[in-house]
Amino acid sequence: MSALKVSGLYRYFGNLQAVNGVTFEIPHGSVCGFVGANGAGKTTTMRILATLDYPTHGAAEVCGINVVHHPAEVRRLIGWMPDHFGNYEHMTVLEYLDFYARALGYKGKERRERIHEVMEFTDLVPLADRSSSKLSKGMTQRLGLGRALLHDPQVLIMDEPAAGLDPKARIELKHLIRVLAKEGKTIFISSHILSELGEMCDSLLFINQGRIVHHGDAESLRRGSDTQGGVLYDVRVDGAPDSLSDWCILQSNVQFLEARKHGGRIRLDTEDPAKAADLLARMVKDGLRITEFHREERNLEDAFIDILGRLDAGQSAVAPPPLPE
Amino acid sequence: MMNLSHLTDFSDRLPPMLVKELRQGLRARTFIAVFLALQIMLGIMLLFASASDASDRAGSVVSGMIFTFFAIAVLIVQPLRGVAAIASEIKSNTIEMMVLTRLSAWRIVYGKWVAIVSQSALILITIIPYFILRYFFGGMNLVGEIVFLSLIFLTSMALTALTVGLSGSSSGVIRALIPLVATPVMFFGMIGLTFGGASRNLIESCSLDDREAIIGIVFYIISIVYLGWSSLTLGASLIAPAAENHSTLRRCITLFLLISLMLVTLFYSLQKEAVVLLMMVIVAPALVLALTESPRIVPLHDQGVGKNKPVRRIFRLFLQPGLAAGIFFSAGVGALVACITFLHPDIAKDQEMHLLILALFGAFLLPAVVQSFTFKTDAQRIANYILLMVGSCILTVILATLSQAIVNREFLWLFVWNPLVFIIMESRSEFDGPDLLLALLIVNAVFIILLFIKAFMVMKAHRELVSRSAIK
Repeated sequence: MSALKVSGLYRYFGNLQAVNGVTFEIPHGSVCGFVGANGAGKTTTMRILATLDYPTHGAAEVCGINVVHHPAEVRRLIGWMPDHFGNYEHMTVLEYLDFYARALGYKGKERRERIHEVMEFTDLVPLADRSSSKLSKGMTQRLGLGRALLHDPQVLIMDEPAAGLDPKARIELKHLIRVLAKEGKTIFISSHILSELGEMCDSLLFINQGRIVHHGDAESLRRGSDTQGGVLYDVRVDGAPDSLSDWCILQSNVQFLEARKHGGRIRLDTEDPAKAADLLARMVKDGLRITEFHREERNLEDAFIDILGRLDAGQSAVAPPPLPE
Repeated sequence: MMNLSHLTDFSDRLPPMLVKELRQGLRARTFIAVFLALQIMLGIMLLFASASDASDRAGSVVSGMIFTFFAIAVLIVQPLRGVAAIASEIKSNTIEMMVLTRLSAWRIVYGKWVAIVSQSALILITIIPYFILRYFFGGMNLVGEIVFLSLIFLTSMALTALTVGLSGSSSGVIRALIPLVATPVMFFGMIGLTFGGASRNLIESCSLDDREAIIGIVFYIISIVYLGWSSLTLGASLIAPAAENHSTLRRCITLFLLISLMLVTLFYSLQKEAVVLLMMVIVAPALVLALTESPRIVPLHDQGVGKNKPVRRIFRLFLQPGLAAGIFFSAGVGALVACITFLHPDIAKDQEMHLLILALFGAFLLPAVVQSFTFKTDAQRIANYILLMVGSCILTVILATLSQAIVNREFLWLFVWNPLVFIIMESRSEFDGPDLLLALLIVNAVFIILLFIKAFMVMKAHRELVSRSAIK
């Protein structure tokens, strides 16, 4: 059973189609990044999963429980962190967590123990008596995470948790997410900062205009082909770098892109590994003294733009590779 | 382990919202200021009263002052604190985080209300010593003053419920209008009561030695409890996730109360004014809430009704949340009101009462009609409705003033689209009663037809939406 399962999800706001037939599954214990431009449908999908909105059509399940039919059960399984939230005036950090612990049904010693555990985990102990309305953005996010973890949820849904954080706070948040992932929690996280998601996510979901356009791991995206199906290689040669560019001019399926100190970047117009092997063999056969030949990884932003480019060009999105076990 | 002992300051048995609100509220400047100001004022007043020679008169002056200060605190300041109760949570995006706990929208709103009311209760408790001191000035109507004080407190509870409920509206205009309009009205009303001597008459009526006064007090309590409850459910439905259903219970309670009133009318001879007043108290909040619901239809609401087709159909038509069912429900309420009107022997014969009931019923339909066909957005429905209602009342007052100054009052026919105008016309001799009643019936029928058209449009749009996404 998947931790999150969404099938054929549609959400209309009047005539505006916010979510357009979204389907995906996220296995237990994995960290999945949710990527898309503003207005792509990320927050709407996440809000439906968090039982805060309802679909016009389709189904969404958390740990096999339908979010529409059994919202109360789903709420016990999820921790929700919205993109922005305020804190309360005249209330300390400790009292803030105490209120939510009470609201979640914790009583007496158990409540105090749970608050203590969460405060230790999120490093909020030194801030216990500070007014919750006078925290920095980073501290507020930690407090929000602490609140979301109070009932020890199996699934964490985080909408842009790193937005507006300074680099230090971002590193701290990333660390906490990694620890939570190690504890076996399923984390569904949206962000604009793709490089960060790539570092901590097992899989990435790309959404555009309400549709999922890619679902795969970051590695496959980095190693994927560009819009036209080409793949970049970094080639180093022993001797004059010009020999590489001169050789490329004579090849039909290879393009020399950029000269470098000991060679250059070339583009092969297919991602077929056999063709890459042929290319290397031809280079050696034609007398190029190759010292290094490796496939260049793209950054995730480029990969995302390539996927969007393919869609604009009328090609279908890349078939999703198998999900990580 | 860090020191968490002060988290035991409130018992686990108390509702979490109450704990939160008390922790915040008791530290809020407004409460501290009101609390201290009341004590200082009452203390000074007692000092002056003790120094006075005429102790008999001093007693009634002290009573009047205690009631005035207490009323200002609990009828103006404390309810006004409710204006921002839910709005501040919505603004800071914390309401959804609360909804995701075990707190339902109702418990959140109820908790907010209880917290302010408990602070008002704290103020009430602190004035008791002044009452004891006042007793020694002599001339005290003990029962009357205690009942009067309790009624002020109950009214404060209802007003707080109203402001807390309305604070769920996203409209800043409404939240600004409440203090702007209510504060001067309440303030001058209370000053008038105290210095105009009306408070003495009210205290006399609260002495519980007159059967009619007791019935009046009971009706008043029932009415403000119902109005307070309606306001709180409004707040709960404004903040609840779309999938939560607050409408069905509310409408069922309204139907239950109306049917009960109908049965009472059948078997007991109640005064016609009391019946009309009770009918309007029951109907007014029910119509406002039903006609301001969102046009969105959430299909899952009827899943708890069971598989019985006729029951499901009745539910979808009258009790399902949403504007479409709200319109049909309002029409049903209108039918029940008509039944009560014709079952009561005195009201059935009274044409003036028919006109008054129809005009008031139409006054609740007019803002809904205007809103349905002019406002494009779904947001701020309750705020728009209230503003339109206030507008139609202001127009009526202007027309009433003009009709007194102008000899030819035929121009009033131009404003018959505002049903309240019929009340002015009915009071003028040049208009014929049966003609007015017929015209008012036509106006109301047009409103109902227009609302039915809107309801069918909403239902059609919903069916298309579902089929469009189902095809994909």
